[in-house]
Amino acid sequence: MSEKSIIVENLTCRFGNLVAVDHINFDVGQGEIIGFLGPNGAGKTTTVKMLTGQLRPQEGRALLLGYDVARETGKVKSQIGICFEQTNLYEQMSALDNLNLFAELFGVNGFDGVSLLKRVGLAGREKDKVGNYSKGMKQRLMIARALVNKPQILFLDEPTSGLDPVSSEAIDNIILEERQRGATVFLTTHDMWEADKLSDRVAFMNQGKIAALDTPRNLKQKYGRRNLIAEIAGADGRLVKKEIGMDSPAAAGEVGALFQQGKVLTLHSEEATLEDIFIQVTGRRLTE
Amino acid sequence: MSTRIIKALLKKDLKLFISDRFYSILTMVGLVFYIGMYFIMPATTDEKLNLAMYAPVMPAAFAQLTASDGAAVELFDTEEALKQSVEAGGYQAGVALPADILDIWEAGGQPTIRVYHNAAAPPEVSDAIITLVKELSYAQTGQVLTYETEEEILGTDLLGSPIPLRDRMRPLLAVFILLTETLSLASLIAIEIEQGTARAILTTPMRVMDLFLAKGILGVGLAMGQAVLFMALVGGFSQQPDAMLLTLFVGSLMVVGIGFLLASLTRDVMAVTGWGVLIMILLVIPGIGNIIPGLLSDWAKVIPSYYLTDTVSRITNYGAGIGDVWLNLVILAGFTVVVFGAGMLALRRRYL
Repeated sequence: MSEKSIIVENLTCRFGNLVAVDHINFDVGQGEIIGFLGPNGAGKTTTVKMLTGQLRPQEGRALLLGYDVARETGKVKSQIGICFEQTNLYEQMSALDNLNLFAELFGVNGFDGVSLLKRVGLAGREKDKVGNYSKGMKQRLMIARALVNKPQILFLDEPTSGLDPVSSEAIDNIILEERQRGATVFLTTHDMWEADKLSDRVAFMNQGKIAALDTPRNLKQKYGRRNLIAEIAGADGRLVKKEIGMDSPAAAGEVGALFQQGKVLTLHSEEATLEDIFIQVTGRRLTE
Repeated sequence: MSTRIIKALLKKDLKLFISDRFYSILTMVGLVFYIGMYFIMPATTDEKLNLAMYAPVMPAAFAQLTASDGAAVELFDTEEALKQSVEAGGYQAGVALPADILDIWEAGGQPTIRVYHNAAAPPEVSDAIITLVKELSYAQTGQVLTYETEEEILGTDLLGSPIPLRDRMRPLLAVFILLTETLSLASLIAIEIEQGTARAILTTPMRVMDLFLAKGILGVGLAMGQAVLFMALVGGFSQQPDAMLLTLFVGSLMVVGIGFLLASLTRDVMAVTGWGVLIMILLVIPGIGNIIPGLLSDWAKVIPSYYLTDTVSRITNYGAGIGDVWLNLVILAGFTVVVFGAGMLALRRRYL
């Protein structure tokens, strides 16, 4: 992760008086998965559009693999893959035809669409019209399409939104495989669990700005409360819950006392979720 | 511009066009319908004389004419009304008798009978009218040379060769065929925008210009291919084939430009169909004017398809060459450039 795949400096985008993305700065290392978390309208999609050359920033710049996106858009586009939030496949065409079209547009020689479809779990349905696919199958095909050119940077916008657990896991596995291959993954989501599970680092985006950017572990340590929750049997036989702050100097004594005083039924640690931290940092919920 | 990318886009668009049952069936049925329509229309002109007459006093011989099977005679109250009707194409000719015709004949003089010919009337019809007037005058007075005639051609004289209805319809049918592709192309673009596929392909190394080129080539190919097939089957290339090919090419470019503009002004396929039908109605008006001479006045020249129908009509019906129709082609090409550019700009700014 030493080399930087993405470098963003002062990137800004306005729509009239609305500042959708407000002077953001960050970088992403090669082979890193970065999760962009934020509620709807936070500026995530606008950021992705600027990074992928779909939208020109009014200020600042973005370098992808050393290329300035605004000036060397063609070079950038040939090295990236994008999976959009909204399904945008040619529904009248087969899955294989969809992939072959993109392979031709990217100029991929010897493209093997059947193998790619097999990898995303669509083997045997290659020649079916996409219009007859389920939502999960379409989403897998969207991921496959983003992988046609073996991209060095993969942009995934809500890749598992509204999918069943099996399809979500399949997509999560593909994301991890791509990281293994060396690709950088830019994951835009408001699913905190997905971001926590997959991302090396997460960025909280709120009102066009990056409110926090760090590894999930560091964010939890920095902003989260670490508690021990003990369930003990009370004197009258009722279940009593006791919360002990792990960072308190008296924590060890309190735990010891619990074991001495009563019968400890369960004892487990409680960590803050990314959602909790997001609320703490921004004052908003992710799902607003 | 990348040949590889344009080839891939063309292959995809053709596949989508064929798989879109509505437009592929509409195209096929339309083509068969227009060709069939041409052939079921009369191939010959009506030989019955269609006359307008102004007769403040009606000589007995002329009165017999109104009851004749060989001529349909309509009487007018004023000579001016007669002239307007003949010029509008309602009659092949008009005959205006002077108010004192009987008095002049009685005095042994020669009255002046004015004969108005419609510009599109064939010369043999004009000759027949003159002969008829002579015969009627003779029948009335029993003497030859008892009148003088003044002749005037009303409207643009296009040599007056008889044009069967189906040949007068040919430009209109050609415009219909071309305009069908405006709707097809605009729908293809609208579907791409509506479903977000245009956005998806634009994230590959292709450029917006590649997209327009591919759509343009497909649109021109489909429109011109059908128009050429139609013209070949209905004898549209029997005179000046080079001029006809050039006209159909410029016409195809024009409909593609209109297709771009239509797609940029609408949000979905329904809107494309709605606005497309309105635009189609406007653009076929000059073709209808071609069937009914005199129906349209100079205002029709602001409709760009006027220059297409007029050119097709002059080439196929009067044997005009490029040298005769170049001004029409230049105006048509100018409009095409404007509409093409406006459509591309609007599409680019609004959606891509």
